[in-house]
Amino acid sequence: MWPRRVEALLVVAILFGCASRGVQAQSTNAERGAQRFMEYCAGCHGADGMGGDKAPALVSPSNSTHLSDSELFRIVHDGTKGGMPPFAQIGDANIRAVVEFLTRLRNNAPPTNASAEAAVPGDVDTGRTLYFGKAQCSACHLMQGKGGFIARNLTSYGRTRSAEEILHAITNPDTPLVPSSQVATVTTRTGQKLTGPLRNEDSFTLALQTEDGRYHLLSRSDVTDIHYSGHSLMPRDYRTRLSPKELNDIVSFLIIASRNPPPDKAEGR
Amino acid sequence: MTSTGTRAAVAITKLQSMPSLFTRRALRTVVTICLLMSMRPGSGYGQTGKPERPPAGKRTTTSDDGNGLIDVQPSDLLKTPVTNNWTSYNGDYSGARHSGLTQITRANVGRLAAQWVFHPRTVSPLEVTPVVVAGVMFVTSANDAYALDAKTGKVLWHHIRAVSQGLVDDPAQHHNRGVAILGTRVYMETDNAHLLCLDARSGHLIWEVAFGTGNKNDGATSAPLIVKDKVVVGISGGDAGVRGFLAAFDAETGEEKWRFWTIPGPGEKGNESWPGDSYLHGGGATWMPGTYDPDLNTLYWGTGNPAPDFDGSVRPGDDLYTSCLLALDPDTGALKWYFQFSPHDLYDYDAVQTPVIVNARFKGQPRKLIVTANRNGFLYILDRTNGKFLFATPFMNTQNWAKAIDENGRPIPAGRTPDEKGVRVCPANGGATNWYSPSYDPSSHLFYFRSFEACAIIQSNIKPFEVGRTYYASGTRSVDEPAKAYINAFDLNTLDFAWRDLQIGRNKGWGGVMSTATGLVAYGDDANNFVILDGQTGKPLWHFHVGQLVHASPMSYAIDGKQYFAIAAGSDLFSFALP
Ligand code: HEC
Ligand code: HEC
Repeated sequence: MWPRRVEALLVVAILFGCASRGVQAQSTNAERGAQRFMEYCAGCHGADGMGGDKAPALVSPSNSTHLSDSELFRIVHDGTKGGMPPFAQIGDANIRAVVEFLTRLRNNAPPTNASAEAAVPGDVDTGRTLYFGKAQCSACHLMQGKGGFIARNLTSYGRTRSAEEILHAITNPDTPLVPSSQVATVTTRTGQKLTGPLRNEDSFTLALQTEDGRYHLLSRSDVTDIHYSGHSLMPRDYRTRLSPKELNDIVSFLIIASRNPPPDKAEGR
Repeated sequence: MTSTGTRAAVAITKLQSMPSLFTRRALRTVVTICLLMSMRPGSGYGQTGKPERPPAGKRTTTSDDGNGLIDVQPSDLLKTPVTNNWTSYNGDYSGARHSGLTQITRANVGRLAAQWVFHPRTVSPLEVTPVVVAGVMFVTSANDAYALDAKTGKVLWHHIRAVSQGLVDDPAQHHNRGVAILGTRVYMETDNAHLLCLDARSGHLIWEVAFGTGNKNDGATSAPLIVKDKVVVGISGGDAGVRGFLAAFDAETGEEKWRFWTIPGPGEKGNESWPGDSYLHGGGATWMPGTYDPDLNTLYWGTGNPAPDFDGSVRPGDDLYTSCLLALDPDTGALKWYFQFSPHDLYDYDAVQTPVIVNARFKGQPRKLIVTANRNGFLYILDRTNGKFLFATPFMNTQNWAKAIDENGRPIPAGRTPDEKGVRVCPANGGATNWYSPSYDPSSHLFYFRSFEACAIIQSNIKPFEVGRTYYASGTRSVDEPAKAYINAFDLNTLDFAWRDLQIGRNKGWGGVMSTATGLVAYGDDANNFVILDGQTGKPLWHFHVGQLVHASPMSYAIDGKQYFAIAAGSDLFSFALP
């Protein structure tokens, strides 16, 4: 027999499945696009599409932001005289997935989720109350200008993701763990212990942000020990702390809130 | 809220208490819910009210050191001269771009060495002056903002925002000059004239307001200025026929508090220069940060050229308030006084060069002054309590557009009116100086600035205003004469130049100057060098080849007792310190 909670989650999953009918295929495609982008493109265009030494930015600002999908397809398929290699060999499906991912990366990406029409699985108002209240999401996450700063802005998060994906992100934190969100505990030469996300790190320096917002900008030589937690600050118990209904409600709030946000643009760290 | 949502939720609660795996009933429920969910939901989420101020970090120590805690109080912005922190585009409110730091001196500057380079990869050339608070540096490049570890140049956060398409003239090049900071927030203008409020600790967008007039030719390139609890912004697009204004927004909520139009509308003083609806395209842009005197509670802000630039026939009279210095009440936006440098300007002589607040003796008397070197080729000294003209001197040998400046400060024009054939005018439309910053050292009373000597043939033609086009009403040709550039030191005690350093190099430099309490002057020269010279003599003491044109003004900051100079050059930002 299934434990009760798993059963409930199964039902939730099915509900979400039908809520995002027709959207699901699209979002997996975009996910594949993200993987392919990392594999084939990031080396030259940067992991964030912001450009590098070898290739121009594909987002913010770039000519490609006003290329149509078919023009993008052609560029990736055939390459250009200016040094963009052809990618015909990866197959049309992969190219389409990469192009879709590019659209998502870009500023005015149309909602891949729900396209303003699809229903949401829970109660939006309750979700909102939970977000700013009991569930304490707003302690860390900004939403339409309100909330904390230590974690990413969730204002437009729901615009490009299915209910399923969002639920998964809340109940399975850190899959994957973003390096600049990883919490570490650093012991300094003076014996001070500092804990918080490691915003930047290399062989010489560390930038750790404590929860009061303070940046601790340290040289490796000032540090005697670093413990990497393997986690972000995202609580790992929402699966049990919140009921499936409450999770539904929060997911619904994230989706609906993203549809009429102030003109929030792409964000990155 | 949708009723379908509620039902879905109820169904789950019920199922939770059921002992077995899927019952028929559960499945039926699921199917029903799927059907219901395909119906269109009502509008669920209402727009929230005004954003709350995020809780300020606890202030254990002042943030005027490298402690990484960003929480700038209005009183922190009053500090003059700036030292460890560089809190606004020009450093402090005076616009003096003078640093009180003393670690780097004439004696040791020769050992200055590059510390790091930051390459934001978006625009070139960068025109930003970084802001530094508590060891964190804020930089903009196009519409992107970054927080850097000011010791290492490494990125702490990055707010990405695509550039806008379809803009005109300067904003179409997506230049951006940097941020303003208050509390735990930074503010920046975007190329399409939106004001962004970002959380300084994360780079996340808190609010955004479009402050333009809806005219597609609107744009912005400047850094905002914080005055008390307001953020003051100006508009670009004076060569594209915008109607200039200054606007102030509540720093917390983004609510507009006042707006001063630099081109008077029907029934207002000065409207006689703007027949019909031409005031809507009269220019007078406000595209550089102004300065602020807290004691006099006055905001000083320069305005740009009238539009169309070269055809004055459609705008008879003085064309108020173009090519002016405005003195405004920062609480209400009310005009206290104005001084017009170039009435009925025909040569694109914007007056947006920093109006530097100076307290010094003028002809023996202690005075509250504004000192500014104007694009029209004259350096001015005004009484900033009332706008009274005190002094002007030409700083360009070949100046030919004005015969003289009269006792009220009004130029006597030489009658060179642009026509279809064109007239030779000096300075050229690019000005005898421009937006690159001046600097003032209060201990030596030397005023430093870059100047440029070139002439141009300026032509004029009647041309109607068009959306999506520039509004110069004809154009310019360069003349076949070598141009010259100088770094100048003007002595307020003698009212004469202490020295002028002729620039050697093939490029037209766009590097502003800054000075320090140890008598150093830093700037980018015409040969892709970042240079530090002796402010007393003009003798170069140190240079570093940044390899790219400097199109920005330098600044200085300190962390843990170590002083740095930072300068944007080409597409990179450099930082220097002693080893
Ligand atoms: C070997 C380096 C390299 C790799 C790998 C690469 N690109 Fe490029 N890409 C370039 C260069 C160089 C240009 C500029 C070409 C030009 O100007 O003609 C470019 C241009 C582009 C453009 C046009 C940009 C514009 O603004 O016009 C797009 C779109 C693009 N690449 C997408 C991709 C995608 C998607 C991938 C992965 C499938 C990829 N690139 C992989 C080097 C690369
Ligand atoms: C204690 C702080 C904290 C709280 C409380 C918190 N989160 Fe998070 N959350 C994080 C951090 C840190 C991450 C990792 C990514 C980052 O740095 O933003 C994260 C990640 C996420 C992600 C995945 C983001 C992605 O990049 O895919 C989602 C979705 C999310 N949180 C939603 C929520 C919701 C909904 C709540 C309330 C139920 C919540 N969080 C509560 C800190 C928090």
